[in-house]
Amino acid sequence: MNSIDPRVNRLPIVEIVKPKAPLDQFGTYEVFVEPKPGKPFQHEGAVHAPNLEMAYILAKETFTRRFTCSSLYVVDTRDVFVSPLTEGDQNVFDLIEESESANGTSDFEIYQLSKRGKQHVFLGSVKASTPQEAIAIAKTKLNTGKMVYNIWAIEANKIRFTTEEEKEYWITLPEKKFRDASNYKGGDKLKQFLEKVKA
Amino acid sequence: MYGGGNTFEGIKTDSIADEDPILLAAFEARIERGEKIEPSDWMPQLYRKQLIRMIEQHAHSEIIGALPEGTWITRAPGFKRKMSLMAKVQDEVGHAQLLYSAAETLGKPREQMIEDLINGKSKYSNIFNYPTFTWADCCFISWLVDAGAIVNQLANAKGSYGPYCRALDRICAEESFHLKYGHHCVIYLASGTDKQQKMFQEALNRWWPPMMHFFGPSDKISAHTEVLMRWKVKMGTNDEMRNQFLDMYVPKIWELGFTIPDEKLKKNETGKWEYTEPDWEEFKRVINGDGPCNKERLEVRRIAEERGKWVRDALKSPKAKYVMPLA
Amino acid sequence: MNNQALKELLYKMADDQLILGHRNSEWTGMGPLLEEDIAFSSMAQDKIGQSLALYTLLQELGERDPDTVAFTRNANQFHNCQLVELPNQEYDFSLIRHFLFDTAEALRFEMLSESSYEPLAQLARKIRGELRYHTLHANTWIKQLGTATPESIDRLQKSLENALPFALGIFEHSPHEQELISSNIFLGEETLKKRWKEKVESVISQTDLTLPDWILVEPTFGGRIGEHTAHLQPLLDEMSEVFKIDPTAEW
Repeated sequence: MNSIDPRVNRLPIVEIVKPKAPLDQFGTYEVFVEPKPGKPFQHEGAVHAPNLEMAYILAKETFTRRFTCSSLYVVDTRDVFVSPLTEGDQNVFDLIEESESANGTSDFEIYQLSKRGKQHVFLGSVKASTPQEAIAIAKTKLNTGKMVYNIWAIEANKIRFTTEEEKEYWITLPEKKFRDASNYKGGDKLKQFLEKVKA
Repeated sequence: MYGGGNTFEGIKTDSIADEDPILLAAFEARIERGEKIEPSDWMPQLYRKQLIRMIEQHAHSEIIGALPEGTWITRAPGFKRKMSLMAKVQDEVGHAQLLYSAAETLGKPREQMIEDLINGKSKYSNIFNYPTFTWADCCFISWLVDAGAIVNQLANAKGSYGPYCRALDRICAEESFHLKYGHHCVIYLASGTDKQQKMFQEALNRWWPPMMHFFGPSDKISAHTEVLMRWKVKMGTNDEMRNQFLDMYVPKIWELGFTIPDEKLKKNETGKWEYTEPDWEEFKRVINGDGPCNKERLEVRRIAEERGKWVRDALKSPKAKYVMPLA
Repeated sequence: MNNQALKELLYKMADDQLILGHRNSEWTGMGPLLEEDIAFSSMAQDKIGQSLALYTLLQELGERDPDTVAFTRNANQFHNCQLVELPNQEYDFSLIRHFLFDTAEALRFEMLSESSYEPLAQLARKIRGELRYHTLHANTWIKQLGTATPESIDRLQKSLENALPFALGIFEHSPHEQELISSNIFLGEETLKKRWKEKVESVISQTDLTLPDWILVEPTFGGRIGEHTAHLQPLLDEMSEVFKIDPTAEW
């Protein structure tokens, strides 16, 4: 190509592109981030990836290259069990039957949506045999009475967690000041310029 | 980054006549009381269609918008600018990712959206169809085009669709550094050597007309969008957004000693900005394919997709199944 | 402590990081998958950031400021290995280079975290997490693509064979090798190369790729003493294009 952009001029010539096949962009994985130690994990969004390990690697830069992060995990979207969604004054926990079942052997991570438009936030872990049961047990053990519009239950063995040694991925994150708005105080330079102009 | 000038189709209210009136009433009541719509809610077909179009256009604008600035990464003067520009353009690709995901929650797969971009079916912000001749052109985009985008984004973040609002919250947080960085670059050009000042003034002269097009055609010639306003899909008219931008940024441009190539540009007694009516025929011509860079922008995306095909094909697994992202 | 030896070490490391970071940044907006585009360009940025940290250490040792050092030297004054200046070509080459170089880099910094030169040891310890992610990324991509389809395996194999001679150029000896080893600043290129070979063999053995016999790979030296391919000067010209409009101006 004949462009003023040197990168574009280095591009190879490519034949006509065939239409995209379904799943050319892979399946989706939901991404959960712990913003700081002690703060609960929250849902950040989804990545497209060919498998769980790749989803973890891609999620790390897609969702945690900015701000702060102390841990991250991903799970196949299909492995997130979703409760009904309520609105207004209706608490979704009221629609769910409690369960005291003690037979469950799988760990489930439970997430709640406390307001439409916000992100799902980690509520707690329960042991259950199915995701439906996990939500029912969540009602018994984790319901604080606060308004909740939606619950997610995720089986822990489907999750790619961050290991203890991997937490060092984010050590240098707070130092990357060149991405902070506060690092661009044009104020002084501007003031200097304005004073020079007046003179 | 995001441009206004969304090509909303004219809405015929009989397109909602076929919707279930009870469901429609509940849907509108929810929006009215300020509660967000989430992916599993019932929604009118028109709402779904217009939102997909709007969010998709926004996503395309980000990935295409990465090109006129991206070209200056290899030529950025000095470490500070190099690293900031790299971070900024990375963010733009990131914003495209977030926005495609938000649009996907409405039922359109990402493959389809990328297809539609490359084959010219879907639009993106017109301003990116112009070339960045110099470093100063790049700085113009980083400051003022981003500023325009933020005006739109802050408004749309108060819209009704949950996933779009969440994406915009994150985008606005990342954009705060982009805007400051852009302004910082221009302050240095303004207070620098004669060559630097001249470089920016010339860039400003080139980019001002497309910037005036940025928020879309003036209200008097735009398609009717009342129902989209009621559904909090469109949050302000094109003229309102444009006026807000001028109000915030013209004084800042003048403060740096630059002139804007429009003699009529001034704020009138009612506080509204007056200006020479932009050439809307030109806008239509460019957005429909006849601008300086349209072919190149799409060609670059086409080449990128094709070069990456072997990678994606290699990693595709027969066990994969398409499922919409959750939120 | 011999400053010459230390400076030479820092220069070659910084130059490697700068040039490779610059090359990798060329993929921004053009990657094979949006999420990977973001990841690759974010890692490129880490490299540029690391090069800046190293040039800053050099400045503390009396060299000029990082911008001047990076943006005004000519090709024959750069000490990067030739591997990093090669054009990106297709994604298979860029990934192979990322794997070969970042494996060496992570090991180098691991060794340097015990350096007698404290500022360098501190830097090495600080960026360990970044480098850990870089190698996780590279290893995962190589292992997955290296076992996927005939096309992906063939492409990676060819790129591997093309890159290996240049990769061995990473370990070109410094004139001050003995100095660096005896003063405990750095354990030397031979030790690094040995550890690198083991790591590379270990990852490649988990793929369908074949590593040629090391004896058959002829290293491409010269980069460390300012002898470069025809690719470096155009890269530097482009990098310094705006800076050189007025090197005294503030941008």
